[in-house]
Amino acid sequence: MTYDASSQRGKRAETLETSGRTFWGRLVEWGPYHTLMRLATASPRRQFLILAAFPILWVLTQHLGPMLQMLRVSLTDAYPVAPGVEQHFTLDNYARFFGDSIFWMPFFRTLAFAGVFTFCTLIITYPVAYFLARHVSRKNQMLFLLLLLIPFWVGEIVRTYAIMILLGNTGAVNMVLKWVGLIDRPIPFMYTSFSMGVGIVYLTALYMLLPLYSALEKLPQSMNEAAADLGAGAWTRFRRVSLPLTIEGISSGCTLVFLISTGFYATPVLLGGPSTTVFAETIAGFFHVAGDEWPTGAAFATIMFAAALVITATFQRVMNSLRKGERK
Amino acid sequence: MSKLIYNRRRFLGTAAATGAALASPFYLRRAAAQSGGEVNIWTYNDFVPAAFKEQFEAETGIKVNVRLVDDQGKQFNLLAAEQPNPTVDIMTVAGHRFLQFIDSDLLAPLDTDRLTNWGNINPTFSESDWSTINGNKWGAPILSGMEVLSYNTELVSEEEALTWDTLFSEKYSGQTAYIIQDMMSIVMLKMGYDGNMVAYLDDPDKAAQIVEEAKQFLIEKKPLVRKYYDGGAEFQQMMVNQDIALGHSWNGPAAALINDGFPLAMTIPREGSYGFVYTYNIANNAPNADNAYTFLDAILSSPEIGAAMTKASGFISTYKDASQHLNDLEKKSTSFPEEQLANLQFFRAEANEMKYGLLDPAVEAIKAA
Repeated sequence: MTYDASSQRGKRAETLETSGRTFWGRLVEWGPYHTLMRLATASPRRQFLILAAFPILWVLTQHLGPMLQMLRVSLTDAYPVAPGVEQHFTLDNYARFFGDSIFWMPFFRTLAFAGVFTFCTLIITYPVAYFLARHVSRKNQMLFLLLLLIPFWVGEIVRTYAIMILLGNTGAVNMVLKWVGLIDRPIPFMYTSFSMGVGIVYLTALYMLLPLYSALEKLPQSMNEAAADLGAGAWTRFRRVSLPLTIEGISSGCTLVFLISTGFYATPVLLGGPSTTVFAETIAGFFHVAGDEWPTGAAFATIMFAAALVITATFQRVMNSLRKGERK
Repeated sequence: MSKLIYNRRRFLGTAAATGAALASPFYLRRAAAQSGGEVNIWTYNDFVPAAFKEQFEAETGIKVNVRLVDDQGKQFNLLAAEQPNPTVDIMTVAGHRFLQFIDSDLLAPLDTDRLTNWGNINPTFSESDWSTINGNKWGAPILSGMEVLSYNTELVSEEEALTWDTLFSEKYSGQTAYIIQDMMSIVMLKMGYDGNMVAYLDDPDKAAQIVEEAKQFLIEKKPLVRKYYDGGAEFQQMMVNQDIALGHSWNGPAAALINDGFPLAMTIPREGSYGFVYTYNIANNAPNADNAYTFLDAILSSPEIGAAMTKASGFISTYKDASQHLNDLEKKSTSFPEEQLANLQFFRAEANEMKYGLLDPAVEAIKAA
């Protein structure tokens, strides 16, 4: 008896193909499935809804859900609810903020810090983005972007410790200054608004850089050339051409950096000093302290969130009107 | 420097813990009933010696799951959120925080009859007034700590460190740090008041006035402080980086630096200070209560284990004769002269609700000022 391998392989393939075709074929021809698919994809609107279902579900459960839960907790008088304790809804946690000026200072300090640090980040990253978009050849731009991205491969805490290593009394900056003979005693950079600012600018730079780069990269070279032909100097070209046409990037970058800056916790704790307490630290205090303080912390977090959104919306409106003004 | 410290600490810790585990096979052989399962523990870093844990797991078959915590409040909130079905069996509560946990029904009374090694704890800790509440024991004391004035011996003299005033002096402006909540109690004591506030339980107005006085003092001295910190590691970091010359700290983190060879010393200043005791406690409705008792009895089984905990954490062991298993430097870093110990009193819990009700807003005000 002889064994025909090729014939066996052929039979197996045929069986698999037949069974495969049979399964999918049967599914497609199955009445309920066929009807369901026909109904689901009957119009572009339905197709869109099917495609959007998972992202919407994700946003609802992972983003909106926790925020709604925070809002709910902020309106209660006890959370977590201890056994035997009845939970009630109340506005007292919000009243505590508005009724006690102790909390206003860290609140306004946070907003002021966020504004100043956002401006500093813009001033520092704009030239970098400009150089990258306008003066680096296109084939090298990705390489430069990759180099700028490398520090962001590690977490916030590690990068904050890197700043501590740089700015500490025995840190690299003080060592270099001492070595070149500029100082005898270390400059106390750490635990000041300066060290906190350096940390936050460093941590948020990329969020400003990428929108700026994107806006500058789209700017046609011909516009600057036309302005130059009409006699505009470098500063005038920047002020009258580049800057107005990158307002959208500035607006996006500033919004991102401002919102992120209002929520920083670990960096101010590690790099800040006694006079730099931010609102996130106040909020965290309510969650660390044992007792029924979570609702107050949640209320304060909601207040900060709302304030940041209002400021950002106002900023966006101003930038939009500026952009429209330039177009006229 | 920090690398050296890390390596030395790891080496010393590992060596000590290994020694402790090797010296305590008796219990573990006895406990080798191989009951299996697991025990879940919330505790501070270095409070469960690694070698002990390894041997306990091997001998009993009980897996020890440690979740590190760094704050009593966080433990309380976590446990409150999980009750009545907690995931934890053993927590680490400071003695002066018992009441809060007990009032919220979060702890189970400790059945000391199930702990054959209960007698290995120094009675100063196991039988003191704070350890018995409502006629029950609520925890097994393991380590004792205190609020001390720690100073760099190359920058600050011993005489200067004998008073809290040095911490607030112009001479060391910008070179000091403290935990602001703890400092409030110490400042009250320094001003001649009861920092535990037990004396003012019947006079809330007086209590509020004292807290206000301490608050104003710390606001006035705010320009002199370099950093309000929260954890022992932060304090160590600032000392090693020479960002500060002296500061208030817990004795544990300071002792760990001394054992690493850092030029640091600590005192209990003449104005007085507070001590506290960490205890292992069993959670109410603990899912593995039997294993929790097995673990507690094991960890209390020998002074070597207590010494290993001291070597790793820097806090003082509550076990009888644990100090006999420390070297000279470790003994030095965990002991104080009698005249300084006389200035020490323990934190008490009776007035905590009133105290922290006043203290928390005051702390926020100081930070905001």
